[in-house]
Amino acid sequence: MAVSLDPSAGQSGPSPEAGVSSAGVPIEGRSLGQIAWRRLRRDRVAMAGGIIIVFLILVAVIGPHLVQNPNTYNPNLVDPTFSRPIGPWGGISLAHPFGVEPVTGRDMLARTVVGAQYSLLIGFLATVLAVVIGVFFGIIAGYFGGWVDTVIARSMDVFLAFPLLVFAIALVGVIPDTAWGLSGNSLRVVLLVFIIGFFAWPYMGRIVRGQVISLREREFVDAARSIGARGPYILFRELLPNLVAPILVYSTLLIPTNILFEATLDYLGVGLIPPTPSWGQMLSNAVTNGFYYIDPMFMVIPGLAIFITVMAFNLFGDGLRDALDPRTH
Amino acid sequence: MKRRKSIAIAACAALTGLTLAACSSSSSTPTSGSSGGASSTGTSSGGAEAFNASLNGVVNPSTKKGGTLTFAESSVPDSLDPGDTYYDWTWNFTRLYATPLVTYKSAPGSAGLQITPGIATGLGTESANGLVWTYHLKHGLKFSDGEAITSADVKYAVERTYDRSVLPNGPTYFPTLLADPTYPGPYKDKKGTLTSVTTPDAYTIQFHLLKPFPDFNYVAAIPQTAPVPPSKDTGANYQLNPISSGPYMFSSYQLNKQATLVDNPNWTPTEDPQASQLASKIVLDLNVNADDLDNRLLAGDIDVDAQGTGVQAAARAKILSSPTLMKNADDALSGFLWFAYLNTKVAPMNNVACREAVEYAADKTEQQDAYGGPYAGGAIASTVMPPNIVGYKSFDLYNALSQPSGDLTAAKAALKTCGHPNGFTTGLAYRSDRPKEVQAAESLQAALARVGITVQLHGYTSGAYYTDFAGSPNYVHQHDLGIDMGGWAADWPDGYGFLDELTNGNAIVPAGNTNISELNDPVVNNLFTQATNPKLSSAAETAIWSQIDHEIMKDAAILPEVYAKSLLYRSPNITNAYVQGYYGMYNYAVLGVSS
Repeated sequence: MAVSLDPSAGQSGPSPEAGVSSAGVPIEGRSLGQIAWRRLRRDRVAMAGGIIIVFLILVAVIGPHLVQNPNTYNPNLVDPTFSRPIGPWGGISLAHPFGVEPVTGRDMLARTVVGAQYSLLIGFLATVLAVVIGVFFGIIAGYFGGWVDTVIARSMDVFLAFPLLVFAIALVGVIPDTAWGLSGNSLRVVLLVFIIGFFAWPYMGRIVRGQVISLREREFVDAARSIGARGPYILFRELLPNLVAPILVYSTLLIPTNILFEATLDYLGVGLIPPTPSWGQMLSNAVTNGFYYIDPMFMVIPGLAIFITVMAFNLFGDGLRDALDPRTH
Repeated sequence: MKRRKSIAIAACAALTGLTLAACSSSSSTPTSGSSGGASSTGTSSGGAEAFNASLNGVVNPSTKKGGTLTFAESSVPDSLDPGDTYYDWTWNFTRLYATPLVTYKSAPGSAGLQITPGIATGLGTESANGLVWTYHLKHGLKFSDGEAITSADVKYAVERTYDRSVLPNGPTYFPTLLADPTYPGPYKDKKGTLTSVTTPDAYTIQFHLLKPFPDFNYVAAIPQTAPVPPSKDTGANYQLNPISSGPYMFSSYQLNKQATLVDNPNWTPTEDPQASQLASKIVLDLNVNADDLDNRLLAGDIDVDAQGTGVQAAARAKILSSPTLMKNADDALSGFLWFAYLNTKVAPMNNVACREAVEYAADKTEQQDAYGGPYAGGAIASTVMPPNIVGYKSFDLYNALSQPSGDLTAAKAALKTCGHPNGFTTGLAYRSDRPKEVQAAESLQAALARVGITVQLHGYTSGAYYTDFAGSPNYVHQHDLGIDMGGWAADWPDGYGFLDELTNGNAIVPAGNTNISELNDPVVNNLFTQATNPKLSSAAETAIWSQIDHEIMKDAAILPEVYAKSLLYRSPNITNAYVQGYYGMYNYAVLGVSS
């Protein structure tokens, strides 16, 4: 973490940990990063969230290679009269640890794992897009102020007031089958990343803008200016390093929002193209067809997957904020 | 033409086709089940409670009078005004207070598909050139307010349906069939009159058509011909207190909450043998939560689920796993067909052998499961017309019944004939906001992959499906949508009602197309022309419908999937219960209560 050590830029001021040490041991200077890390490590809830995130990422990266084909039908595992899996708990067995899907008998573990891959991929990429756009415009708006700020800040308001869901549904409906050399699901992933990320940037933009406004009058910026530094240098070499903490925190909190939004779009039938599994589609299927009554596990599993993922990111994000920004204590 | 099966069909695109307002496919889950077939599984009439007993017989026959009959509906009707409604349960329900010129015979089994007189003395008679239909009214009939029913009241009832700004919901057969299509309706044009309906005397009414239409009696059976006294018409508010011409009349109606009907003192059982006045009070509760409704139905709190599309998944599981409950259930054909259009213009599907390969390779069991399984989904289909349509004849060109999981050998042979021995690639359109259709699309994709046919799925919103996507031949061609999922039901149970908009070459239109296969087979078109010959006997006409069905299947223009069924629960409290074949639900006009 490249946090500037300029004392005037430190957000923490004299922090309690910095001076406290056991008797006899010489007091060592610690970087803000080290301090934050120590605080984070002590926050058990945040660490639990972090571990779950690491686990989820492993599942998303490696998992799809280990599970069976998520699109294999197993009609022999489903009772056609009730459309529900044979056996208790949604047909859970050694071969199908999460049970099977009603109607088709497709393996739920495989579908959940592959669903995780797409959820996280889209959630991460959309967040990256939102952060890049948000930070860029936020810094510019905050630093230059004046009419530049007015234009950018008002466009953020427009974006925030936009009926995003309606727009997303319409856009997915009219987009051609092939564009930019992509087709099918890969095009759909790009499209989802674009829609979700492009409309989430103002949240990041506003936070960055606010931070920059409070930083731009600090002495170190004046100092840089007085020795002849120009706009871009000040923006990206002086201001940006001081923004790492809030950007990191809000990115972590933006990921679960984006994952939820992706699930929403899937739920509404404008997300990934079937038969590609997605959590939102599984939920939609469970709710709309009333499977939650006859096979609750079919709703519980994707529901839990979304819940745990979102919860883990939120807890970790909160802990990270506490660690990096003790003023919130 | 299709009836909206339920509210859920909001998506129905109202298309003004040549003859009909078509609305495609209901999303309402026809829950239903299967006992195998049609109404052919026979039970003797009259009788005891047993599973499917009221498909072909009357359960709990009784003439006991009195009691309160309670209906409940999980949603709301489009309107209870007989002139302004297009749901099939409301058509069934309006029979309690509105008698059209002619109506369906109240009887179980296939007899219920016949048209019999309502307020008319007999069926309509067609003039020699087929352009004029004449009906004579029974004498001495009275409205619930004591006024005599005359032909002018019937004419007025038809006139008012012309104003879609006041009565937007009903079907639009009269403006499309009658010779005066631009008449604005009595609300806008108080002095004018519909010149294509004439009333030579108080008991005779004549309809003048643009061109011959042999099925006109079916049109006259729509509740829109039930008489409405002009002096009592309140336009859009008429649904709050329609003046009754049937056995019951409204005593109160809180819009979208509850309607209460009581005996109509001016109605006599002899005037309409197709209806009865057994219960002394009828209550219709609206907006009842669907699962709660099922529970109350099973508990005996509610006598009839008005919507008649079957119970929800939870109640279905309860009923099917309990022999006691099951004996009070009926698995009725709803008249709906789930199917896929196989486009005849998109390469390589323009080659009939390629379409045959799809017919053979599809796994019909998977399709059935996708739509809800044998009870809630329906029976595996091998023809375009479902069994409760006049003209249905069972045949199985592509081994759908003998090899329901697909005849892969035949499929591969067909692929060879079509010049793509290793399969081909085509697009498949479906409505992505209907989970059952999504599952059907996915399983079709998986089934066709077995013979090398690669299917690319394209999901669309149901609202624009028939207007902008699958219903636009241009769009279909540009996106190679060789396979397009669909659902269909007829406004009246004969081959014309079911097949014309679906497969007649002249039904192909640039937007809102319902002949998505773009089938323009001269043989089929010619048969349609023959069938509309006014001189044809009805038996000959029926034979032609079967023949058309066969030709369509020979063209492999439609991949039939499932004849939809509804698992209905017949409360032990109700008497005279039987499934009216045309509606696929209990006949509401004859029910009574035992307790």
